[in-house]
Amino acid sequence: MVVVDAAGGGGRQDEESRRLGFALTVPAQMLVLFIAAFPLLMQAYISLTDWSPLDGIGWWRAWELWNGFANYSDLATDNRFWGALGRTIIVMAICVPAEFLLGFGLAILFTGNFVGRRFFYSVLLMPMMVVPAVAGYMFFMLFQSGGPVNDILSAIIGSPVQIAWLSDPDLALFAVIASDIWQWTPLMFLILLAGLLGVPEDQLKAATLLGASWWQRFVTIVLPRMKTIIVIALAIRVIENFKVFDTFYIMTGGGPGVATETISIFIYKVTTQELVWGYVAAIGLTILIVLSVVAGVAIKYMSAQRREA
Amino acid sequence: MAEHIRMSRRRLLASAGQAAAVVAAGGIAPHFIRPGRALAADALAPGMIGGPTGFEGAERYQYGPDTPEGRAIEAVKEMKGAGSAPARIVLGLSDGSIGQLTQPFPEGAPSIKELWERETGIPLEVVGVPNGQEFTKTMQDISTNGGAFDIYAVEWNRLGDLAETGGIVNLDDFVEKHGPEWDDPERGYVNGKKGVSLLNQYRGSTYGVSLDGDFQTWVYRTDLFEDDTEKKAFADRHGRELTLPTTWQEFDEVAAFFHRPDQGLFGSTDLRNQGWGYTNWYQRFVSMGAPNQYLFDDAGAALINSEAGMKATEEYVASLTHHSPDAISWGWPEQYGNFASGGAAMTCAFSNLPKFLDNPSNQGSEVTGKVGSMLPPGRAIDGNLVRRSVLWLNLSASVSSQSAHPEACYLFLQWLGSSRIYAWMTANPGGYFDPFRLSDFSDPLVRQTYHAYHMDVVRQTVQRTVPTINYPGATAFHNALDENLMAALTKSKTPEQAMADTERQWQRIARRVGEEKLLEAIKTNKEAWPTVLDPVGT
Amino acid sequence: MTRSPAFEIFRYTVILLALSVTLIPTLWMTSMAFKPIPEWSASGADLTWWPNEPTLDNFRFIFGESSSELIVALDRTAGKPILASLLSAVFGTLIAMISGTSAAYGLSRFGAGQSLPLALTQLRLFPPLAVMIPVMIMWAFLGLTDTWWGLALVYGIVTLPFAFWLMKTFFDDMPYEIEEAALVEGCSRFRVFMRVTLPMMRAPLASSALFVFILNWSDYLIALLLTTREWVTIPVYMASLSSSMTGQLYGAKAALGLIAAVPPVILGIAIQRHLVRGLTFGALKQ
Repeated sequence: MVVVDAAGGGGRQDEESRRLGFALTVPAQMLVLFIAAFPLLMQAYISLTDWSPLDGIGWWRAWELWNGFANYSDLATDNRFWGALGRTIIVMAICVPAEFLLGFGLAILFTGNFVGRRFFYSVLLMPMMVVPAVAGYMFFMLFQSGGPVNDILSAIIGSPVQIAWLSDPDLALFAVIASDIWQWTPLMFLILLAGLLGVPEDQLKAATLLGASWWQRFVTIVLPRMKTIIVIALAIRVIENFKVFDTFYIMTGGGPGVATETISIFIYKVTTQELVWGYVAAIGLTILIVLSVVAGVAIKYMSAQRREA
Repeated sequence: MAEHIRMSRRRLLASAGQAAAVVAAGGIAPHFIRPGRALAADALAPGMIGGPTGFEGAERYQYGPDTPEGRAIEAVKEMKGAGSAPARIVLGLSDGSIGQLTQPFPEGAPSIKELWERETGIPLEVVGVPNGQEFTKTMQDISTNGGAFDIYAVEWNRLGDLAETGGIVNLDDFVEKHGPEWDDPERGYVNGKKGVSLLNQYRGSTYGVSLDGDFQTWVYRTDLFEDDTEKKAFADRHGRELTLPTTWQEFDEVAAFFHRPDQGLFGSTDLRNQGWGYTNWYQRFVSMGAPNQYLFDDAGAALINSEAGMKATEEYVASLTHHSPDAISWGWPEQYGNFASGGAAMTCAFSNLPKFLDNPSNQGSEVTGKVGSMLPPGRAIDGNLVRRSVLWLNLSASVSSQSAHPEACYLFLQWLGSSRIYAWMTANPGGYFDPFRLSDFSDPLVRQTYHAYHMDVVRQTVQRTVPTINYPGATAFHNALDENLMAALTKSKTPEQAMADTERQWQRIARRVGEEKLLEAIKTNKEAWPTVLDPVGT
Repeated sequence: MTRSPAFEIFRYTVILLALSVTLIPTLWMTSMAFKPIPEWSASGADLTWWPNEPTLDNFRFIFGESSSELIVALDRTAGKPILASLLSAVFGTLIAMISGTSAAYGLSRFGAGQSLPLALTQLRLFPPLAVMIPVMIMWAFLGLTDTWWGLALVYGIVTLPFAFWLMKTFFDDMPYEIEEAALVEGCSRFRVFMRVTLPMMRAPLASSALFVFILNWSDYLIALLLTTREWVTIPVYMASLSSSMTGQLYGAKAALGLIAAVPPVILGIAIQRHLVRGLTFGALKQ
C-alpha cells in the first residue's frame, strides 16, 4: 500500500524537475508541519506538568506545576482509562468481525448478474454516506423504549416489548455496536466486492472443470487472491473504529455511567469536564506514540510482503 | 436631538423587522396582555429616568435616579461622555435564555436588548452557548485566551472554580462604587446578605451577578390527584386518603400507585441521567438530619459514606421503579416532553415548568390547566418534618478578565440583575431565567407567566432549599458523586461501594484544592443552608 | 458462481433482508421529518410508521418561518449552520485538493517529498482528540476559533491524506508518454502539469474532490470543539434543537438530518465507482 516509487514514471531528474517537485510538495509539507510541530511540542511539555486551565495560569507557565512523569504513572493505574481502552477493544472485536462477515457474505451474493443488482448495490451503500452525527440521532430515536426497534420486536414476538436500550449498561453497548455495524458493513461490502470481482474468472472455471466444490474454490483460489484486500479492509475498519466518537457520543454520551465510554469519549470528557489538561496531554501523547509504532511496524511488514509477492 | 431622531427611526425599523418575533412572543404571552387593551404607559412615569414603556403596568419596571438601575445607566452615560465606554458588550448566554433579552415582552414593550441600547447607546451582542456547555465553553475561552466574550454566564456553583482561574474579574470595587442593593429587604435576594454571599460571592468577594432561580420545585397533575376513582382506589389499597406526599415514604407509595407504564403513565418523571439526576439524591440525602444532613463536617470530612448516605442512595436507586425505563438516558428535554404529553403524575423540575407546560398557547402540551405545585417531600425527625430541595444549575454572570471594559460590563449586569429589570425579564416567557428575588414573587407579570399557584410554592421552596457544592473543585466533587451514583443506578456498584468510592475521590479532590481554602468555603456554604422545619403531616 | 433456483431464492431473501435493515432507520427519520408534533412522541402506544397528517412544519420551523410555538426561542435558524457546513466543507476540500494534488504529482513524477506518505498516513491514523488541546489553543491564538475559515483549515489538513493518496494512485496510473510529448514540444514542466496533466485528470479530480467533501461534511467532533456560535455546523446546531415546551424536537432534528444526509448520499452515488479507491487510500482500484 505504501510503496514510494521514487523515480516514478521514469521522468528525467534534471534541475527543473527537482525544483518543481519540491515546490509542488511544499504546501502539503507545510500543512503537516503546521499541525504536527507546535501541537506535539506543547503536548509533550504540558504532559510533564500538573497544569489545568483551572489553575489560572497560561499554558506557557505550566512549568510552575512541573510533576515529572507523574501523569504517565497515573495513567498506568487509571481504571477509567483502561476501562475505556478495554471497551474500545471489545467494541472493535465485535464490530469489525461482524462487519467483515456480513460484508463478505453480501459481497459473495453480489457476484454474478441478477435482476436489480445495480439498484440493490446503490441502496446497500447508503448507510456509510449518512453523516455519522445524523445516524447517532436516528439511532437514539430508534432505541427509545417506546421506539420503533421495540415496536418491531413486539410485532415479531406478538407481545409488547418495552426494553430500555439506552438505559441499561449492557444493552446500551449493544445498541451503539448495532449502529456501528449498520453504518459500516457497507464499507466492507464495497471493498470486498471490489476484491471478489478482481478474482480471474478463468481460474475459477478451470477449477470447476476439475470438479472442485464451491467451498474448495473459495478457499484455494478466492481467499489467497484476496489476502491483501482483506487486510486493507480490516485495517481501515480497525483504525476508524478505534477513533469512534460521533454516533456513540450522541446516542449515549458514553453512558449510562461509563458503559459506552470509548477512548475518544473518555478523552473528550476529561478534556471538557475534568479539565486536567496536563493529564490529557499525557494520554494523547501516549496514544500517538503507541499508534506510530504500530503503524510503522505494520507498514514495514506490509511493504516487505509486497516485495516478496 | 439628532441622536433622538436616529434612535426613534432605528426603533421603528427594528419594530417593523421584528414583527414576526413580536407575533411569536405575543403568541406565548399570557392572555391578559393581548392587544386590544389600551396601551397606557407610552412615556415614562413622573420621576422616572428610564425603563420600559409601551404596555400597561410598565411603570413598575421603570426607575428613578436613586435606584441600582438608574445609577448603572447614569454611570455608563458618564463613561460614554468621557469616551471610555466600550463599542459593544458581548454576552455569552445559554441559547435557551436569549429570548428573554431579545424578544419584546409584553406586547408594545421593547426588548431588554433594545432598551439597554436605547438608553446607553452601547450595542449588546448576545452570543448563544449550547445549554449544558456553559462551563465548557467558558473554560475554553479562558484557557485559550480566546477573548470571545466580555461576560460569561455559568452555573452559580462554579464561581469558585472560575475565580481561581483568574479568568473572571473581582467585582468588589464596582459593587462598592455603584451600590447594587442586592440585600434590599423588600426587593433583594432571599436571606439578604447571606443570599448575596451564596449566589454572587466566593471567599467574601463578589465574582458574579445572579441571573437565575433554579430552585428545584415539585409539580403534580391535579386531574389525577383530584379524580374520585383514583382517590377511592388509593384509599382501598393503602387505607389512607390520596394526598400530596409530605414524606419520601409517602412519595414512593403515591408514585408506585400511579405508575402504569402500559397506559403511558409513570409515577414520577424526574431526572436520573448523568450530570442531572443527582439533584434527587441530594434532596433525599440532606433531609436525613434536622435541620440538615450536611455533606461535610466542619473539619472537612465527607459525611456521605454513612448510614444516611447508604439509605439515600438505596432509595434513589429504588425510585427508578416508578420512572420511565428510559429515565437514565433522559435529559430535561425528554423529561419536559414526557410531562407535557401527560406521561407522569409528578415531577421535580426547574421552576419554569408550569410557565412552559401549563400554557394554553403550547399546543404540544396536554397538561395545560392540570398542573399543581407542591413542596418537596421530606422526613419526620424528632417531631418535625424536614423538607429540602436543592439549588442547582442556576446561571450567574461574571465579567471576563479579557474584557477591556470590566466596569461597563459590571454596570450592565447591575442593571440587568436589579429588581425592576429582572422581574420584567423573568416574566418574559421567551427563556429559562427564573424568578429569585423577593420582589419577583409578588410581581403581577411574573405571577401571570409562572402562575400564582406556583409562585407561592416556589417562594416556600426557596426557604427550604439547600445549596449544592460551590467551593473550588465543585465540578470535580460533583462529577465524582455523579459517576458513582450512576454506577449505583446501573447496578454496577452497590450503594455502599458507591458511597465509599465517592468518599475516597472526594478526599483526593480536597487535597488538590487545599484544605484551608476548602474549610473556609464549606463554612460559608453552610451558612446558607435552610433552618425551616415544618410540622409533621402538613 | 453456482446458479440454482434455490440459490437465487436464497440470494434475494438475504439481499432483501439486508435492504430492509439498511432502509428502516433512514425511513424512520424521513417519516419523522414530516410528522406533526403530536406524532413525534416515542412514549405512548400510538406509534406510527407513516405520518398520519404529513406536514412541512418541521422544515419551516428550522428555517424560522413557522408560527408554531415549538421552542422557547429559536434565536437562530438552520440557515447559518448550513452555510457554515457548506463553506467549511467546500474550502476544506479546496485546501486538501490543491495541496494534495500538487504533492501527489510532485512525488509521483519527481520523487519529491518522500516523507509525505508515512506522515500523511499517520495523520489519518491518529484520533483527532489526542491533539485537540494544542489545536484549540493554537486556533484561539490565531483568531481562528468559531470561524468557517478556521474550520476549513482543519478540514483541509485532516482530509489531505485522502486527497494525496487518491491523486497519487491516479497519477501513478497515468501514462507518461503524453506529458513526454508535450515536453518535447518545449513546454516547461509546470506548464505541462497545468495544461496537459490536470485537464486529463478532470474525472479523477472531480471524484476525489467529492469524496473529500463528503468526509468534511460529515465531521461533528472538530466543529464541536472549534466552534461556539457564529459558525456552528449542522450536526452541532442539531444538538440545540430541543425546547422546554415539547422536549426534544425530534421532528426538527429529523428534518435537519434529512437535509444533512442528502448531499453525501447523492454525491456518494455519483462517485460510486471511485468510492473504493477513496476509502482505501487509493490502495484498491476499481
